[in-house]
Amino acid sequence: MLMWHVHRGIDVQTDLLALLPREDRDVRIQRAKDRISESIGRRVLFMIGDRDAARAHEAGSELADWLQKSGMTDSVTSRLPADEVRSLGTVLFPYREGLLAAEDRARLEQGRASEIVDRALATVYGPIPVASVALLRNDPFFLLPSYLASLPSPLPRLGPDDGWLSVQDGSRTYVLVTAQLSGSVFSLDFQNRFVADLGATEARLRAQFPELVILRVGSVFYAQDAGKIASKETAEISLVSLVGTVLLILAVFRAIRPLLLCLLSIGVGVLCAFAVCLQLFGGLHVAALLFGVSLVGIATDYCLQFVAARFDVEAKSPWDRLRRVLPGISLGIATTLIGYVTLLLAPFPGLHQVAVFSAVGLAASFVTVLLWLPLLDSAEPLRHGCRMLASAGWPWRFWHERRYRWARLASVGVCTALTAAGLTRLHADDDVRHMQVLSERLRLEELEVRRLTGMGVAGEFLLVEGADEEQILQREEAAIDRLQNAHAISSSLAISEFIPSKARQRDNRGLVREKLLAPFLTSYYARIGIEDRPAPPPEESPFLTPMVLATNSSLAFLRNLTVNESSDEIAHLVLLNDVPDPSAVAAAVTGMEGVRIVDPTGDVTRLLRAYRIRAMILIAVSAVLMLPIVLWRYGRRGTPRVVLPPILAVLLAPPLAALFGVTFTFFSAMALVLVLSIAFDYAVFCREARPPRIHVVMIGIWLAMAATLLSFGLLAFSRTTAASGFGTTLLIGTLLACLISPLADNSDPS
Amino acid sequence: MSRLLAILSLALALATADSDAQPKQAPPLVIGEMLKGRFIQERHLSGMSAPLRSEGQFLLLPGRGLIWRVERPFATVAVITPVGILQSVNGAEPMRLPAARLPSLARFYDMLAGALTGDWVAMQQNFHVEAHTDGASWTIALTPRDPSDAITTQIATIAVTGSELVESVEIHRPNGDWERLTFHDQTRSAAAPSPDDIRLFESAEN
Repeated sequence: MLMWHVHRGIDVQTDLLALLPREDRDVRIQRAKDRISESIGRRVLFMIGDRDAARAHEAGSELADWLQKSGMTDSVTSRLPADEVRSLGTVLFPYREGLLAAEDRARLEQGRASEIVDRALATVYGPIPVASVALLRNDPFFLLPSYLASLPSPLPRLGPDDGWLSVQDGSRTYVLVTAQLSGSVFSLDFQNRFVADLGATEARLRAQFPELVILRVGSVFYAQDAGKIASKETAEISLVSLVGTVLLILAVFRAIRPLLLCLLSIGVGVLCAFAVCLQLFGGLHVAALLFGVSLVGIATDYCLQFVAARFDVEAKSPWDRLRRVLPGISLGIATTLIGYVTLLLAPFPGLHQVAVFSAVGLAASFVTVLLWLPLLDSAEPLRHGCRMLASAGWPWRFWHERRYRWARLASVGVCTALTAAGLTRLHADDDVRHMQVLSERLRLEELEVRRLTGMGVAGEFLLVEGADEEQILQREEAAIDRLQNAHAISSSLAISEFIPSKARQRDNRGLVREKLLAPFLTSYYARIGIEDRPAPPPEESPFLTPMVLATNSSLAFLRNLTVNESSDEIAHLVLLNDVPDPSAVAAAVTGMEGVRIVDPTGDVTRLLRAYRIRAMILIAVSAVLMLPIVLWRYGRRGTPRVVLPPILAVLLAPPLAALFGVTFTFFSAMALVLVLSIAFDYAVFCREARPPRIHVVMIGIWLAMAATLLSFGLLAFSRTTAASGFGTTLLIGTLLACLISPLADNSDPS
Repeated sequence: MSRLLAILSLALALATADSDAQPKQAPPLVIGEMLKGRFIQERHLSGMSAPLRSEGQFLLLPGRGLIWRVERPFATVAVITPVGILQSVNGAEPMRLPAARLPSLARFYDMLAGALTGDWVAMQQNFHVEAHTDGASWTIALTPRDPSDAITTQIATIAVTGSELVESVEIHRPNGDWERLTFHDQTRSAAAPSPDDIRLFESAEN
C-alpha cells in the first residue's frame, strides 16, 4: 500500500493553514494571502552603496544583469528608462481636475483655500522656477505637483536619479535593485542555490568595487539561514542522539541486538502509520508527520521493557519474559492509545492526522513487540547486571524505605518551592514570530535597509470587496479615512490613494471649482500678469479609473494589490504599515461592509493559540478517559497512586520549564501529551512489577527515559524556540516521570 | 527645479573662487565667512507679456546653505541646505523638499563645496566653463556637457558676470524661458548670521 503511494508521489502539505478547521477557511481570504505571500515572500530587495554614485550605478547594473540571467528570477527592476520616471505625471495630467492631495482637500473643505493661493504665489516668485505659462494655464495652483508629492511611496526616502531609485546617505549613494524570484522560496534546494550564487556574484562585485556596500532583504535569506541552522542542528542532534543511544545500549546490554529490536518495532510502526494515513487522508501534513513520528517513538518504552527483562534471571525464554512484562505494557499501550485517540475529538484536521498516525503506528509497533521480538531475541538471560540492577532500583527505595523519609519530605519541599517559583514566571505565548530565532546579522541588515528606504513593516492588510471597482474604491477611501482619523496606522498603500473613486474625483472637481477657482483665479491671474482666463473644462470629462494599472508601468507596483477571483470578480488589498495596535485597526473598520482584515502572521498566531488550548483540554480529557482502565485494574484504592505520577509530571513540567525561560506554547502542550503517556507507562510498569522484579522494570524505565531524552530531550538545546520549548518540557517531564514512577506502587518494602 | 537654485548658489560661490582666469576676483569664500546682499529676479516666461519681477535679500553661508528672502511682490522665504529645501509663506506650515529624494541636488552640494575651495574640476565635470575678462569685469559662460544629464537637463546656458563679486546671472532654459538675477549691496564679512537666520537654517536642517 505504501509502495503504491510512493509510486504515485506523496503529497506532503506544508501550508500551516491546512491545519485549520475547514469552516474557518475562506477562499477569498486564502487567495488574498496567496497574493500577499506571492508579492512579499518572493521579493528580494538590494541597496547598493558606494562613495561614488557612478560606481554604485555600475555595480547596480551588474547585479541586475546577473539576477536577470540567473534563471532564478521572474522579473528584475533596476534602472528605469527616463520616460517611465516621468510618465506618472503624464498619465495623471489629463485627470488632474479630480485629483487632490489629502491636505489640499482638507484646506478646501475647511475654507483655507488662501493657503493654496499663497503657496502658488510663493512658487511663482520664489527661487525655484517650476512655473511655465503652459503650467500656469493648465494647473494654476500647482495642485497636480502637490498631489504627486503626497502619493504614498512604498520606499518614501528613495528618489529618482538618472533612472535609479536612489538615496544619498552620508557620503554614500545607494541605488535600489529589486527582483521577484521564480523558484519556490520554500524549497531548501532553491534557497541554497540562490544564496550561494548570489554570494559569488557579490564577491566578484566587491573585488571590482572595493568600497561597495550591498544590503539585502528578503524572506529567502531568512529561510535559507534558518534552514542552514536547522539542518546543522538536526545533523548534530541526530549524531549525538544516535551515538548516545548506541553507547547506552552497548553499555547496559553489552550487545547491539536490543537496539536493533527497538528500531525494528518503531520502523514497522512508522511505515504502517504512513501507509494508513495516506490511504485515509490522501496526503499528510508535514507537521502531523513530525508529531506523529514523535508519538510513535513512545513504543520504545514497551520494547525496552521487553529487552530489559533479560536481566530477570528467573525468566528462562523470550516467551516467558514476554509473559512477565505483558500486563504492564498492555496497560501502558491501552492508556497511551486512549490519549492519542482523544486527539480525534478536536475539530482540527491537523490533530486528526496526528491521532491516526500515532495510534496506528503505536499499535503496529506493539504488535511487532508481541509477535516478532520474542522470535528474534536471544534466549539467554543476562547475568552481568547485578550492580546496575541495584542502582536502577534506587528511586523505588527512595520512595518506599523508611530511612529516606526526611529526604522525601525535603525533596517534596524543594519541588514545591521550585514549582511555585516557576509558576510566577509561567506564561503562554502563541506569537509565531517568537517561535523562531531570526539571524541577528540579517535582521540588522533589514533594519539598515528600512532606515535607508523608509520602507514600513508590512503587517496587516484589508481585503476590500464590492459589487464593482467603483464601490471597492469608495469602501477603501472610507476605511482609510477611518483608520487615519483613529490614528490606527502610520501609513497605508492602496489603489484608491492613487486612483480615487469617481465619486471622490467628482467631489474634488466641485471643491476646486467652487472654493478655489471661482473666488481666487481672476485676482491671482491679475496679480501675476496673465490676462486670458481659460474656459472651465467640460462638466463630465473622463475620470481616472484602475484601467490605467494594466498599461502603466509606473503604477505597476499597485497591481499586487488586486486579487482577481475571475475577470469580473475583483477585490482590492490595502497594505497597512507599522500597525502599533491591531485591535485599533479592528475597532476602526468593524462593521464596514465589504472590508475585512487579513493578518497572515496574526492568523498563524491565533491558530497556534487555538491548538494550544485544544491540546490542553485534550490532555485533561484523555487523562479522564484513561481512568476506567486503571479503575478496572487497580480498584478504587489503587487508582489514586497509579495516576499520581503522571498527573504530577504533567502539572509540574511547565512551571519547572518556565524556570529555564520556556514560555508555554502549543509545542509545550504537545510535549505534555507525550509526558502524560510516558508517565502513565512508567507508573503502570512499576505498579505491575512489585519487588523483586522492580529492579528489572526500573532498568527498562531508565533506559526508556534515556532514549526519550536522547531523541527528543536534546531538542532543548535547539536554537529554534519552538523546538527548544518542546524539548525542555519533555526533558523535565520525562525525568520527573521516571523519578516519581515508584510512587504508583503501594507495596511494602519489607 | 531646485537644481537651478543650486546652480545659482554655485555660481555665486564660483565667482569668488580663485583662478588664473579671473585675476581681479577676490579670494574664495571660506567657512566662517558670509556673503549678504540684495537681489532682483526677473523671470521671463514665454507667452507672458511682462516678466515676473521679484526682489529681496539673500545670504550665503559656506558649509551651511543659502537663504533666499523674497520681499516684493510677495513675501516668502526659501532655505536651501544639504538636507533639502524649505519654503515658507506667512509663517504657515513650511513646505519641505528633502535632498534624500533628490540625490542630484546632493551632488550639487559636492560641487558647491568644490567651487568654494577653488576646485574647478568639479564644475568641469558637468559644464564647459568659458571665462572672459574685460578690464575690471569678467564673464563666465557655463554650458552643460551632456544635455541629457539629470543635473543639467533643464539648463541651456548660464552666464555669470561680475567684477570683484558676482553682479548678475542669466539662466536660459531649453523651452525658451529665461531669468536674470542681479545682485547689489553685497557685503562679505566674517560676522555671524543673525539669530533669525540661524533659526531658519536650523529648521531647514531638521
